[in-house]
Amino acid sequence: MPVRVVESSAPSQVPEAANSGQTSPQACTLLSVGQAFSGTQNVSNLQKEEAWRVNVRIQGCDLEHGYLCGTMEALNVPLADTPVVTFWEGEIVDTKNYAFFTDKWEATSEDDIRHWTKFPSFAPLLNQVEVDGGKSLDLSNYPYIFMRWKEQYFVNVGTDCGLTIAGFYYVCFSCSDGSINGFYYDPNSSPFQKLELKSTSEERSGFSSSSYELQ
Amino acid sequence: MPTATSTTATATNTYTTATSGILHRLSSTDQDVKLKALRQLKNQIIGNRTKKLSFLKLGAVPSVAAILAEAVLADDGDRNNSFNKNVIVQSAAVLGSFACGFDAGVQAVLDAGAFPDLLRLLSNLDEKVVDAGARSVKMIYQSKLAPKYDFLQEKNMEFLLSLLNSESETVSGLGASIITHSCKTSVEQKILFDAGILKKLNSLLKGSLSQKDSSLESLATIFKDNPEVVLKFVGSESGRALSSIIELVKDKFARTRLLASLCLIVIRNTSPCYLKDIAIKTKLVNTLLELLGDPGQVGDEASFALSSLIAQKEDMQKLAFENNAIDKLYCHLQKDSLNPRRFEGILLALADMCSKLECCRSRFLSSQVLNSVVDAVAHDSADVRSAACICFKSVARSIQNLSAGSFLTEAVVIPLVRVLDDPSTSVQVAALGVISNIVVDFTARRSIFIRCGGMKQLVQLSKSMDAAIRLNALWALRNLMFQAESKCKEGVFMELTASLLASLICDPEPFVQEQALALVRNLVDGCISSVEYVFAEDGIILDAVGRQLQSALKAEIGIQGMYVLSNVATGEEFHKEAVLNQLIPHAETGAQAYIIKFLQSNDSRLRTAAVWTVVNLTNSLSPGAVDRLEILRGAGIVSQINNMQNDPCLDVKLRVNTALGQFKTLDTCLSHTLFNLSLEASISRVGHIAFIFFAIKAV
Repeated sequence: MPVRVVESSAPSQVPEAANSGQTSPQACTLLSVGQAFSGTQNVSNLQKEEAWRVNVRIQGCDLEHGYLCGTMEALNVPLADTPVVTFWEGEIVDTKNYAFFTDKWEATSEDDIRHWTKFPSFAPLLNQVEVDGGKSLDLSNYPYIFMRWKEQYFVNVGTDCGLTIAGFYYVCFSCSDGSINGFYYDPNSSPFQKLELKSTSEERSGFSSSSYELQ
Repeated sequence: MPTATSTTATATNTYTTATSGILHRLSSTDQDVKLKALRQLKNQIIGNRTKKLSFLKLGAVPSVAAILAEAVLADDGDRNNSFNKNVIVQSAAVLGSFACGFDAGVQAVLDAGAFPDLLRLLSNLDEKVVDAGARSVKMIYQSKLAPKYDFLQEKNMEFLLSLLNSESETVSGLGASIITHSCKTSVEQKILFDAGILKKLNSLLKGSLSQKDSSLESLATIFKDNPEVVLKFVGSESGRALSSIIELVKDKFARTRLLASLCLIVIRNTSPCYLKDIAIKTKLVNTLLELLGDPGQVGDEASFALSSLIAQKEDMQKLAFENNAIDKLYCHLQKDSLNPRRFEGILLALADMCSKLECCRSRFLSSQVLNSVVDAVAHDSADVRSAACICFKSVARSIQNLSAGSFLTEAVVIPLVRVLDDPSTSVQVAALGVISNIVVDFTARRSIFIRCGGMKQLVQLSKSMDAAIRLNALWALRNLMFQAESKCKEGVFMELTASLLASLICDPEPFVQEQALALVRNLVDGCISSVEYVFAEDGIILDAVGRQLQSALKAEIGIQGMYVLSNVATGEEFHKEAVLNQLIPHAETGAQAYIIKFLQSNDSRLRTAAVWTVVNLTNSLSPGAVDRLEILRGAGIVSQINNMQNDPCLDVKLRVNTALGQFKTLDTCLSHTLFNLSLEASISRVGHIAFIFFAIKAV
């Protein structure tokens, strides 16, 4: 989700894959293509309490490469006339393609630890992450999936909309109920903006899904 | 103009006269005339396909074959007749020329019965005769039409070894060609290895240019898909044998470099544990990229070799990318008047480059190659059209670009929809492959595809007699329906009709069934009213899904079918009841519910789909959930789910937890209801006793 511009955004870098031979997380149906989530992002600062309604939809998922992508729609953005939609790409922390340490996007390992530890489900992993960055962890059966979501472009507004997508989200997904918690990180924005999303069944009584398969 | 026509007619007449003159002289009884005619014929047809064809039509081959047969017979009687030997050499050369790179010529030589006579020449004492025979037989063995050589016969193997051991490079080259042509099975590869052929071929790598080339081709044939032979070869002579092939990748002759590269590619593809050295891999990639610039056949084949080096191998694609393969391939693609073979090869190499890595696709798209590829979709050659579609399909795997709607433009869609009518089935299938990818739409641009007539075409093709076309048309429709708007779904459903969908679900081909079910799954997802699609025409689709699930042979059919039911089970009470009726067999049949089989499947995806269906049927907020739970319990489904609490698959385990949580809530509801009912009954009983008590008291 975009936030208000404070300074110009930094260019993103191509990530380098880790290679420790660990297995990818098992597929979770609640995090599959087409699934929708809704909730809020708290954008409060010292002057003002504020939260924007947010909808997310998963568009692509490639567990083998630790890749996820989708759109994020912010609904009551004060500076925008319409909901603002962004396209984001996610790195799944699987210790094979991506590690807990970001190593880019202006995030230091201290920033990483400070954000990951905000998730209670990270606590059992902290020691190992401090030892070797979590490289020896097997997260394939862990009921939480840790990710970084980086917005790449605005879908329905121009870059001159007064908003920025320079930062990225530290994300924790619960495989049990499909809830998503995240913290937006951008050195130039309010710290620890919290994203809280729940899996939505829209108007249905239960879990509905669709699928596509690329050739 | 009259003058020009007259000139052409005169030229044609002169040519015909000359041609028939040669043929006439071939049947002369004067041996000198005959020999001269053979020489003339040879000179006329060498490297001239048109003349080969015209002499072929005039029956030249049987005449020459007869001359050869007669001369061979005469040679048996008089081995010192040099004139006769000259006739043999010339007639063999003519037959070899007919066979050279010309399948119709090979067929004619074989039909004329000349092959055994040519083989006999190899045992002649005269070197020139042997050489002429070897050249001709080699030409024949370079064609697919050549008779298969039986390596299993001992005398044949001895003969082959004698050919390879020959001092003559033509004869040893022939031996190698026979292997390249006829060695097809792992048994034959093993026999050749055991007979010491590899050692011999290896020694030929140090021979002349033609010996090197023939030997490299044969080696690749013997290695192909046979890790045992590769292991023995690589281990032999402390790896020197392999080193000599690696050295030839740097040979000064382009064809040798190509053949050495192909040989190494076969070794690597057969046994990936070899040739892991980054320097060798880089050398291979760069050699093939450099050979793309060769103007001849080597350049045509280099791209195919590159494809076999990188296909399905992400590490090799990355290496090729780092060595600018995309840019270099694009550079060659831009050249004017590419022959179809070269065009096809470059497109297929680009397809392999872009099959897995997003960095390759980004580079491809940023260098404007796509415009050339879209143009190639309308090329005259079916192979090029097909390759263009395969290339585009590969690039259209880019989820980033699909998300941005980059491919759904009229400039792209119109030529693709047009090629769906292609006379070639392989082009149609390849075009359907691209369409399957580009219609995965997140930007509401499906309408462009529908407006261009694409959707109607897909529906038509889903009725094709060809299963591959049905499969791919349905695949495209399934992807088109992913997260589609209600109006789009309505349009597709009206065009498809419930009865066609039901019949496709029951298609004889399991892959078609799977795509048809996946299409229905997408159709009934999204807006809640879309659930109604499966109830159209008296529920013909839902019944077909149930029937197919009963007999599903393939896990994927079960998965898609169960998700159809799971999606329908998120609807109203009526929808949930209909799903339950499909899941639970009638009591009188005594059959086990197929969902039990799915819950016990080895495929975790199928177990997940089955548990989701149960979760949706027992959603605690649904009024009829308590009754449905009792029915599920009666069918043994609840106890099966209970047994799955420690399922090895996390997703299954978590869904089972959800289901068990719902069961518990429903059971609590039920016990409260029963308690309330019994309370009501107790109150009523107490009231009744009190009434009696007071009645008695009153009395």
